[in-house]
Parts: sequence; C-alpha cells; structure tokens
Amino acid sequence: MTSTKSEPTVPAAGSRARRSLLAAYAPIGIAGALLALVPLSIGESRLLMGLAVGGLLFAAYAIAFNVIFGSTNQLFLCVGALAGIGGYTSGILADRAGVGMPLAMVVAAVVAAAVGGVISWIAVSRSLGVIFTGIITLAFSLAFHNLLLGQRDLTGGETGLVIQAGEGSLLRELVPPYYGLLALVVGYLIVYRLLQMSHIGWAFRALRDDETTAELAGVDVARYRIYAGIIGSAMLGLAGALYAHTEGYIGPSTYSFGEVDVRVLVMLAFGGIGTLLGPLLGAVVFTVLDEVLVEFGQLRVLIYGGLIVVLFLGFKQGVITAITRLFGRFGGQRPA
Amino acid sequence: MKAAVLDGLVLGLQFGLLGVGLTLVYGLGGVLNLAHGALAVVAATVVALLMDAGLPAGAGVAAGLAVAGALGLLIDSTLMRPVYRQTGEERVLLGLLLTLGVAFMIDGFLVWRFPLRGLSLNIGGEAISILGVRMRSGSLLASVVSILVGVLLVVFFRWSRMGRAIRSVIQDEEGAQLVGVNPVAARRLIFGLSAVLAGLVAITRSMTSPVQVTAGIDFTILALIVTVVGGLGSVLGAFLAGILLGIVNTISSFYIGTYITTIMLLLAAALTILFRPAGLLGRRR
Repeated sequence: MTSTKSEPTVPAAGSRARRSLLAAYAPIGIAGALLALVPLSIGESRLLMGLAVGGLLFAAYAIAFNVIFGSTNQLFLCVGALAGIGGYTSGILADRAGVGMPLAMVVAAVVAAAVGGVISWIAVSRSLGVIFTGIITLAFSLAFHNLLLGQRDLTGGETGLVIQAGEGSLLRELVPPYYGLLALVVGYLIVYRLLQMSHIGWAFRALRDDETTAELAGVDVARYRIYAGIIGSAMLGLAGALYAHTEGYIGPSTYSFGEVDVRVLVMLAFGGIGTLLGPLLGAVVFTVLDEVLVEFGQLRVLIYGGLIVVLFLGFKQGVITAITRLFGRFGGQRPA
Repeated sequence: MKAAVLDGLVLGLQFGLLGVGLTLVYGLGGVLNLAHGALAVVAATVVALLMDAGLPAGAGVAAGLAVAGALGLLIDSTLMRPVYRQTGEERVLLGLLLTLGVAFMIDGFLVWRFPLRGLSLNIGGEAISILGVRMRSGSLLASVVSILVGVLLVVFFRWSRMGRAIRSVIQDEEGAQLVGVNPVAARRLIFGLSAVLAGLVAITRSMTSPVQVTAGIDFTILALIVTVVGGLGSVLGAFLAGILLGIVNTISSFYIGTYITTIMLLLAAALTILFRPAGLLGRRR
C-alpha cells in the first residue's frame, strides 16, 4: 500500500540548492499562512473555534503518525494512547506536583517518546511484521484505556480530569489556542520536511521501498525505525499535552482508540500516506465533514466506514498524490 | 474457586469458537477480519428482531446464522477480492483496513437503526448441579452447543475431504492448487463459516448475559487475543487458548477486578507475540 514511488525529490546540492530549498518549504509557508487567516472569519464563534482547534490537533496527530507509519511502515495503533500519556503526564505533573507548565509539557513529550521508542524497539528487535505490531499497539491502547478507567485516584477514571494549569492564561482564551496549535502544526511540518531531506529521510525511503535491499545497502533499518518511533511519539505526546492545557479537561475518551486512531487513519489515508501536506489536508477535510454530518448522528459511523473502504480500495495513495500527478501532467513538472 | 473455573470453562469454549473463525480466515487468506465481531452482532440482532416479530427461537437462530453467513460470503466475494490480489504485507494491511471499514459500516448501521436493541435468550429450566456447583441451564446449553460445534469442526478438518483440502491450502497454497484444490472456493467457504461461528457465539453468549448492538468491537478484540495466543491458523490452538483465557478471565475478575482482567488478557496476547510469536500451537511462518 505504501509503494508510493512519487516522493518529492530531495534537492540536489549545488547552484540549484537555494531555489530548491525555497521550493521545499514554500508549501508549509503557504499552508500555514492560509490557516492563520481562519480565525479572521470565524473568530467570534466559540463553537467554530473549538472545531478549528480540534482540527489542528488532529493534523498534529496525523503528521506524527505519518512520521511513524508513513515513513517506516510501523503500524502504531496507539496514537491516542501516546497522546494521552502526554496529556495525563503533563496535567498531573503541573496540577499535583507543582511543576511549571512548560516543563511539564516537555517531560510529557519525553515520556511519550520513551514509551514509543520502547514499543518501536520491541517491534524491531522481535522483527514483528505489520500485523503483529498492529496487534501489540492495539493491545497497548486498550490496556492504557483500562488503566485510565481503573486508576481513579490519579486519572479521575471515567469522569476525567479538570486541568488547572493554564487557567487564566492566554491558552484558555478564544483565539490564542488556535495559534498555539497552528505553530505546533507548522513546526511539525518543518520537522517532517527536515527529516525528509536529511540522511534519515533517505534511509526512510530506502527501507520503505524495499527493506532487504536497504539493509544490504548498509542502511541500519532497525535504528531508523526506532528513530521514527521516538520522534513521532514525542510529537504525539507534546500535542496531547498542549491540548490538555488549552482545553482544561481530559478524559479517557479524549484519547481513546475509537476517537483518535481511527480518525487519524482515515485522515492520513485520505490525504496521502507519506506526503508532506496530506495529513493536514485530511484533517481539515474531515473536521469540516464531521461538522456537516453532525445531524446524521450514528449514521456518521456508517459513512466513515464506507469512506475507509472506498479510500483504501480507490485511490490508495491519497488525494495529494492524485493532485500532484494531475499537476505534473499539465505543468510538465512535478511540484515538490 | 470451583465455580469460577467452571464458569471460565463455559466462557472459554465460546472464546474458542470465536477465535477459530478468525484464525481460519487468517490462515487461508492472510486477512485478519476486524469485522468478525460485527458479524456476530448482526446474527444476534436478527434473532432478537425475529423473536420480537413472534417467530420461535429456533427459527430465529437459524435465520440469524444464515444472515451472518451470507454477509460473510458477500464480503469475501466482493471486498476481499482486491485484497487477495495483493501479496505479503500489502495484503495483510489492506485486509485489515478494509475489514475495519466494514466493521464501522455494520456497527454504525446497527447502532443507528436499532440503538437500544440487545439479545438475551432466556433458557428456562432448573439450575443443575455439576461437581457440587449449581450451573444455570443457559450456560450449560451454551457449553453443550460450543463443545458440539467444536467437535464437529475438528472432525471436519481431520477426516472430511473438504476439511483436509482446506488445511492443505493453509499449509501451502500453491501445492494445494497443484493437486487440484481450489483455494478461492476454500477461502469463500471458510469466510462464510467463520461468520456463522461468530454469530453462534453471540447467540450462545446471550443465553447467559445480554448482547448489545455495540458489542461488536469487544467480540473482535476477544477473538484477536484468542487467535494470537492460540497461534494464527490453528484450530485446536484457538480452542486451547480460548479455554485458558476464559478461565483466567473469570478467576481474575472474581478475585482481582474487571479492569485488571482486561489488561491481563491484553498482556497475554502481547507476551505471546513477544515470546512465542507462533502461538501455543501455531506453526512458524
């Protein structure tokens, strides 16, 4: 499924380097600028701003998941759990242990990175394939969910936690959280692009196209998989933590498999696995779609199920790849 | 303690049946069917609806199983075709994602159309004393049915021509094809059979506790755990794992608590993958 051969080419060194550098980061700048305009039109409405913040949160999740799954084919079905580790760690540290909020968020990202790194290390060292990695991480998600429900003293169980840290600050106002998350998303996109253009990105592409060949060519597949696991998980943990402080409330369903992982999978599949802007596009489209379909209630689940089927049957490489290909046909050249 | 073990046995037999279907479909086609639990709930819902309409339980059960089986056949002959065209990890991944989509479609439809529907079959009759433990007639009937079906399955796979043909496809698809076995037909038959078995489990479960329309995901996860612990592709392994996990489940929820129990079951699956990836009785691939 991930045999997307139409990767953006890495800019060659030399005279064209500067122009390519611009071309490499321009899409991020344009996307960021467009998204920065959103509050100008909906900034009055609490409901719509809430939706927009949620959309950006999922964009951040999807980009992180893209680093892990899109780049190195590790099916981490614990996106929500890793984000939850971040959210709960940061919330509990800041509220109960009196750690400053920025430090708590950094610690949360580190903890999530450590957990994701260990999962990745286990998957690599036991050479689990896609299916076993998927099952193990799914089991981890569900176990985490049950732990949240069970450890009532620490997590508030079913009722969840009210997060005090962040109260009264900019993070709880109407528009600033949006820009906070937008900065996070843009940052993640830059990290993704940097990874793509570094030697790590070369290794990612090599191991995804053909693992054995990559190994034979001297790429340390195991090491790069673990790198992806650590980086992606840190991104998830940080996003989960930031959301916890802006929202002021987290519960088991904030980070549950059904609420997070399934959506992220659909968004990534829609936008295009292994593309720069695919996850962002998927998140934006699905946030809008979610709101449009809200009156359908439970029927939405059916519609999403149908969408998953159609997406994976129809254009497996996602909308971004389809569009780029279209552009390529007319423009004679493939934009990065 | 004795009561917990016996209850666990009853539960475990049903876990086993649930796992057998999933394990067979995976063994034959390399598809881990995430819609397994959804198909089980379809059967239970059909039974509940028909019984509300005044049909006798027997007819309702037959119809429920038939609908689940037909749905299984339909999925295999339409959506799974592009999956079977792929090979290796691509096939596994596409199968996983498509059946996940199907699971959502079925769940979404059932919860939307019949939000509060549940099936609970009341089996009348006195509680019967076994080994000094009073067992409800519902759980006895459930275990009798499960044992019977389990034995039938083992007999079918060990001695019947069709069953042996199917096992040959699990072992070596190309080899089987060379000696005249049709793997497509075998896959389709097993997909239908696995849906019927899933439906049967939902129906026998409802003899002891109600099965809600939202139970699909729980059934799927249980089946996954049983399949992983028993070994992907092993019928006997699934039963063994089912019984083992069933007993662990009741004992631990009796003495420790439900949420730890769920974690223990998940841990069992994770540890199996880590230390004995082929499962209890599976072959190494």
